[in-house]
Amino acid sequence: MSDVRGWIGERVPVSIDAVAAMSNEPVPHHLKRWWFALGGTPAYLFVVQIVTGVLLAFYYQPAPQTAYESVRYITEEAAFGWYLRGLHKWGATLMIAAVVLHQMRVFFTGAYRKPRELNWMIGMTLLVCTLMLGFTGYSLVFEQLSYWGATVGANISDTVPVVGPLMKQVLLGGDTYNDRTLSRFFILHGAVLPVLLILVLMMHIGLVRLLGVTELEFEGEDPKTAKPFNFFPEHFYTELIIGLTLMILLSALAVLVPVEMGPRADPQVTPEVIKPEWFFYVAFRWLKLFSGTTAMLTQGFIVFVMFGWPFIDAWLVRRFKYAEISVWIGVAGASAIMGLTMWEALVAH
Amino acid sequence: MAHDHAAPLAPAADDPAAPPGGSRALWFTSRLAMVAGLLGGYGLFAWVSGRFMLPAHTGQLHQLFVTRVSDVAVGATLLYRTPDGRTVNVTRRAQTGAATDFIALSSTCPHLGCQVRWEAQNERYFCPCHNGTFNTEGTATGGPPGDAGQALPRYGLTVDKGLLYILVPAEQLSLGDVAGLVEVTTPVGPGHDPCLTRLKGRDA
Repeated sequence: MSDVRGWIGERVPVSIDAVAAMSNEPVPHHLKRWWFALGGTPAYLFVVQIVTGVLLAFYYQPAPQTAYESVRYITEEAAFGWYLRGLHKWGATLMIAAVVLHQMRVFFTGAYRKPRELNWMIGMTLLVCTLMLGFTGYSLVFEQLSYWGATVGANISDTVPVVGPLMKQVLLGGDTYNDRTLSRFFILHGAVLPVLLILVLMMHIGLVRLLGVTELEFEGEDPKTAKPFNFFPEHFYTELIIGLTLMILLSALAVLVPVEMGPRADPQVTPEVIKPEWFFYVAFRWLKLFSGTTAMLTQGFIVFVMFGWPFIDAWLVRRFKYAEISVWIGVAGASAIMGLTMWEALVAH
Repeated sequence: MAHDHAAPLAPAADDPAAPPGGSRALWFTSRLAMVAGLLGGYGLFAWVSGRFMLPAHTGQLHQLFVTRVSDVAVGATLLYRTPDGRTVNVTRRAQTGAATDFIALSSTCPHLGCQVRWEAQNERYFCPCHNGTFNTEGTATGGPPGDAGQALPRYGLTVDKGLLYILVPAEQLSLGDVAGLVEVTTPVGPGHDPCLTRLKGRDA
């Protein structure tokens, strides 16, 4: 064994012990609680999305003439295609849910505060990337709902003052949905956004590593016994168990709630009831409550506030001398988002 | 700050190599279960992924129209192109009006995929790549395909209300815009010479 190590060490002059020490950060005791191990969940699901996405891309053909048929082939004819497409679809759903839950955990525990403000903003970028992946991925199926969802989404971006028309042109590759649109969505979904997400995720994890995980204290817990533990193997084992549990959950969802083929996209007929994916329900309902430009500007303002929240929170705490103010604002914001989502889910129009 | 009452994970050992709580059997069983779960779960997933990558063989056959039976004289051969571009020689050998009058042989050599041609003087199909030869039934009689005991792939045929249909595997339906009859030759013998067809097309 030492001979092998020596042989490799001569050719790859990296100390394994140094790498092990560098990667083996002490993990705060509170991460022994499952709820606080949520950060790795979206990362694991992202890996699932990459693996299943690459497999699906072997058959997917991004052109209006072929896209629907290739998805039908994957779903109905290719061996286990229904299962892999199911994993990809449910993986996306769970990934977005996990990112939101992780963000809520960070928000309500105040883990975004100094010196972690920038990592919060990086996390927000990851959320936006994930939502964009959801939007572009849903559009690739070329069903009625995905086609009209993409059309509506592109026209929404058109209502943004000044840059809106350009954004729409870039997204669609023309004034309207055309022959070049699907290949754009495909490249965005399969290359641009995943690479961007990987780069930003590296920054996110790098900062977590440099700054350490926020240490939380709990009622009734003796600080003397609540010692940090090793990332490897203890926390690594936890992540392995979470990974296997997620695969079982995804497989169960893929089997019990299988993906289906909706009607093929028809640019001449808009469906009677049109809905985006569930994670855009809140934005869709907002668009029904306000006029186009107002809705876009207010949504942009809300996203801007979310990005800059650590600094806004610091100002509010200084101004009102009340550290828990963010919790109440967060409860109001989360309630509004859930309320609008439920509202959109329960009504046809 | 935060209040959490979730059950903590199993206590971690200070030394991960040592069995916690003194129960070696439990320690060993839990690790064995973990390894089995990892290998079983991800191994199964790898197998599923590999199987997904292989072409789908659903076994489904699609019936595609070729021509009217009455339009083909005994001894004539049709060159038919399947939706994914493969060519098939359909030869009429009898005049009962049933599907058994016809034989449909792929023009693709099973050895390395070259196109075979009909040699009327030798009454055989000949593959110019490695001198493979096939009789009128498609069975290899010489060359590498003969040594390997291969045969030209055969397609099923049906006749319904005087119309001849070919049975094409579902996976050969991917390019639906090139399917159809290419040419009917004169009744000079079984088979068809694709080179001759190309020359005829150029002359025309």
